[in-house]
Amino acid sequence: MVEQKVVFESGNELASYAAKQINYHVMGYYPITPSTEIAEYLDLMKSEGEHDIVMIPADGEHGAAGICYGASTGGGRVFNATSANGLLFSLEQLPVQSGTRFPMVLNIACRTVSGPLSIKGDHSDIMYALNTGWIILFAKDPQRVYDYNICGIKIAEKVKLPIIIAFDGFFTSHQKRRAQIIADDKDVHDFIGELKLEYHTLDKENPIIVGCYMNEPDLLNNKYQLHLAMEEARNVIAEVFREYGELTGRSYNMVEGYKMEDAEAALFILGSSYDTARMAVDKLREEGKKVGVFTSSVLRPFPKRELYEICKNVKSIIVADRQDSYGAGGGNMTLELKAALQDYKANIEVASLVYGLSGRDFYIEDGIEMLNRAYETAQKGKVEKRFDYFGHYKGESGYKIQRYFDPIIGEKARPGITSVEIDEESGKMKVKGGIVKDSTKMPKRWTAGHGACPGCGIPVNVNMLLRGIEGEVVLLFQTGCGFVVSSPYPKSAFRVTFIHNLFQNGAATLSGLTEMFYEKKRRGELPQGDDFTFIMVTGDGGLDIGMGPAIGAALRNHRMIIMEYDNGGYMNTGYQLSYTTPKGAKSSTSHVGPAQKGKATFHKDTPQIFAATNIPYVATVAESNPTDFIKKAAKAQKYANKYGLAFIKALSACPLNWNDNPRYERSVIDAGVNCCYHPLYEIEEGITTITYNPEERNKKIPVADWFKMMGRTKHLTKPEYSEIVESIQKEVDRRWERLKARHESPFL
Amino acid sequence: MENPKVKLPTSNEYGFYEIRLESIGGLGANLSGKILGELGAIYLGLNSSSFASYGSEKRGTPVKSFIRWSNPNIEININSPVERPHLLGLFHERLAGKIPVMAGVGPETIVVVNSEESPDYMRDRLKMHAGTLVCVDALRLAMEAKTRVNMVMLGAMAKASGFIPLDDLKQIVEDTLGKKYPAALSGNLEGLEKGYNNISIEKYEDDGKYPFQEYKEVKREWGYDNAPIGGINPHYGSTINNDLSGSREGYVPIFKKEACINCGMCDNTCPDMVYQFVLGEYKGKASMINLGPDYHHCKGCLRCVEVCPTDALTAGMERDVDIWKIHVRNQELLVDKMEFEDVGPNSWMRSESIVTNKLH
Repeated sequence: MVEQKVVFESGNELASYAAKQINYHVMGYYPITPSTEIAEYLDLMKSEGEHDIVMIPADGEHGAAGICYGASTGGGRVFNATSANGLLFSLEQLPVQSGTRFPMVLNIACRTVSGPLSIKGDHSDIMYALNTGWIILFAKDPQRVYDYNICGIKIAEKVKLPIIIAFDGFFTSHQKRRAQIIADDKDVHDFIGELKLEYHTLDKENPIIVGCYMNEPDLLNNKYQLHLAMEEARNVIAEVFREYGELTGRSYNMVEGYKMEDAEAALFILGSSYDTARMAVDKLREEGKKVGVFTSSVLRPFPKRELYEICKNVKSIIVADRQDSYGAGGGNMTLELKAALQDYKANIEVASLVYGLSGRDFYIEDGIEMLNRAYETAQKGKVEKRFDYFGHYKGESGYKIQRYFDPIIGEKARPGITSVEIDEESGKMKVKGGIVKDSTKMPKRWTAGHGACPGCGIPVNVNMLLRGIEGEVVLLFQTGCGFVVSSPYPKSAFRVTFIHNLFQNGAATLSGLTEMFYEKKRRGELPQGDDFTFIMVTGDGGLDIGMGPAIGAALRNHRMIIMEYDNGGYMNTGYQLSYTTPKGAKSSTSHVGPAQKGKATFHKDTPQIFAATNIPYVATVAESNPTDFIKKAAKAQKYANKYGLAFIKALSACPLNWNDNPRYERSVIDAGVNCCYHPLYEIEEGITTITYNPEERNKKIPVADWFKMMGRTKHLTKPEYSEIVESIQKEVDRRWERLKARHESPFL
Repeated sequence: MENPKVKLPTSNEYGFYEIRLESIGGLGANLSGKILGELGAIYLGLNSSSFASYGSEKRGTPVKSFIRWSNPNIEININSPVERPHLLGLFHERLAGKIPVMAGVGPETIVVVNSEESPDYMRDRLKMHAGTLVCVDALRLAMEAKTRVNMVMLGAMAKASGFIPLDDLKQIVEDTLGKKYPAALSGNLEGLEKGYNNISIEKYEDDGKYPFQEYKEVKREWGYDNAPIGGINPHYGSTINNDLSGSREGYVPIFKKEACINCGMCDNTCPDMVYQFVLGEYKGKASMINLGPDYHHCKGCLRCVEVCPTDALTAGMERDVDIWKIHVRNQELLVDKMEFEDVGPNSWMRSESIVTNKLH
């Protein structure tokens, strides 16, 4: 046996530690709760120089899967981690990976699939992967997350199939447990051996074609090969588990059970709940009830023989599924276990309970209740209810919600803070009003009592925008802090109609709604005068993963506004870098350490990307220039309602992750403007106007003066970062000079 | 496995010694939970698990942290919250409100609360059913030692527990935090000691004064029979009955009406829609008039104090001022009365993620 050491770590920590020991070539990833920490820990270790994995922050999970795929065709070792809709967003790529037979390892910290959006743990995501041709191991505790990661890569490479290591989000991903790890990385390398692929894309001597166009009859044969590999995996898994047992003293079986030998009734349950259910079994055994529990550590290939062997003597089973295959009469484990038992003509009553959705806790008492139901069925010899949910309730009959506010419509929505006219001579729009004092008249569409951090810039920017928008609005928020803090069910901070959709698709969603509105109006299905302004609000993160659909909406020129609040990071998941994070800034995926100097690339120039779509209106705004902000909002509304898409971007403070004092955020934003990192301008029908020029007011400051105001960039003022700061200053100056040139010429 | 270094003084029917920490994000309770968890597993030779209430460790958020210890031969097989703690740490006395931090506290529980008050006073404030109550003025002691509240609380909990050795606690802090923040180490160690040596204890029997509080799962009025389908929420503007006072860290803006020029700057910098403006008269002209702040929603960020061009808004200590005298109710409410719910910010980020303490 190899030398090991005792640690106290969570599932995510152990997954990342295993990856570090394996020293993968490449990790392509995109942050999503609760799997994000895996990339964060790896980035931290990278900054300390503890491994050589190339960490690639993708533009979304679909992109991450693509990065991983491309890298894996090169014949190296590839790693990724995701959850929930991240898995679903990348799902399309999974059969490509397996179908072309390039092994890699994907960790899934299982989480509820949206919507409604939940961040907690259940198995609704992982079951989508059953048909992808990936091997799937399910680890019930942090120790196994580590062990299965080491075993997993060996299994995957032996059968040339990609592998998923799944475990319960939060329960396993975040709970710290005592665990053992292999002390020396070399022992890990010796165990997994070298990766040798017969085919890869970096072999000069032997050119190959990957991802062929293949119809019948070839595809059937190709898939039969995949089937054979999956069948081979049954033996390989058992073999690798055995070898690993010899190495570490921890040997695993594909299926395991507790007190199943003489059980009359049993519970079949996956993941961390299995352990809790074992305690429930002990309780009922004290009462003399012969019950047991069993679980599967492997979902693909489905170990049907092993499952049958372990439960063949019971009379009754309850399968507790942490997801539902709606309309099928059970979750996927119910369906698969029933199918397996049919193969063996087993005479066992099987009932199904859907439990623990969205991370609803599973208590020992719940296990006892389920086992008692199974036991009762065993005694009666007949199941009464084949399928039910567990833990749902009716609600309080007669409950009525209390209306706290009138809707903001009619006169109330039109206090006349701004008015926009088109100047007949110049054809340009002119905004009157926008006076700060008067803007207090506008009722707050986003009202008080929301859960943003003290000093947060998001509500400030959204309400500032809405001061300039007269009339009725429909808001769409993409996933992000702004959404999560304002709409915690059963409450909402919005006094107007509000839609949330996942952040790769908000712009498309609002495009559809906008077109529905105009078409209904054209058909006379909506009363005249019923006008809405459609506004999408997104963070900079939403405009990373959602850039494609946002550009699509802009190119189609729908009559709507897109407003970006840019706080330079994925704050909602704990501050990972976004493409707008300043170069050199530290984040939880761009740590600063001896081997890494914060984020490697420059901040993205989002308004210029939108400008290139030739939409009628693009503007940048800042809360430090409120009148300018409100007037631009009014213009955006006019453009949006008359001509097409308007894009507005605000620099938005995040005291928590910028690591500065919330009290002074307005001056931090002001400095961001004055250093020309976030210059204020607008582009109307292609013509650029700088609306605030710090040079003319003698207010221009070096970017370093702005950086030193925030904890996330303060380190950049140290001498060892001078090269980075100089490069940023040069880039900011270049963009500013180009802007000035555009301001001077209507043709640029 | 090796023999544990300490003997657990008590355990529940499953053999677990259970600890729960109740705190407000930013005070370091999550880190304390991790330290206690690791202390058990690595330093005391126990079996151990620890986790936090998933969702939040932002500034101002109520957070819970759970630790289970057992003898090394007993597996820890549950992931559910600690319902009946043997040791309960309350990191902030303001938690004694509508948030049921005292749930599951019985005669066998030791409660350690950060408070300058006496146990007798705090028992009434916490409506404590029975058990041992330990008060420690962690804020003052932390300031004296130039450390954070969590170090003092850890020291006090070690002492109150009767079996957690101070030396091991100091060792783990030295090995983990000390490596990452060497400059803060002496303060942190002093904080542990001060907490260990400055507690006041009182034991209370079940004298019928306050009932036992059961640990309960949240149950909503809406269930499958009456909730609008699809998770549609017609209850617009309903966060208005949230009271976010708990987010404040001592300071509030103090509004002086006579100095206000009704410029509206506070309103446009306030992230929490606190300022109440109505149509009125200023200097003989019709104008929007600032009536003042609604303190239910003020999180004390003091952005407004910074932008105020006069001295109408100044920063003050909440405990020195009767803010409810200056308080102005939200002017747009339709209802005359409303029951407030104490909540904190509710995002799911972890403020520690950027400074993740890697403990290899």
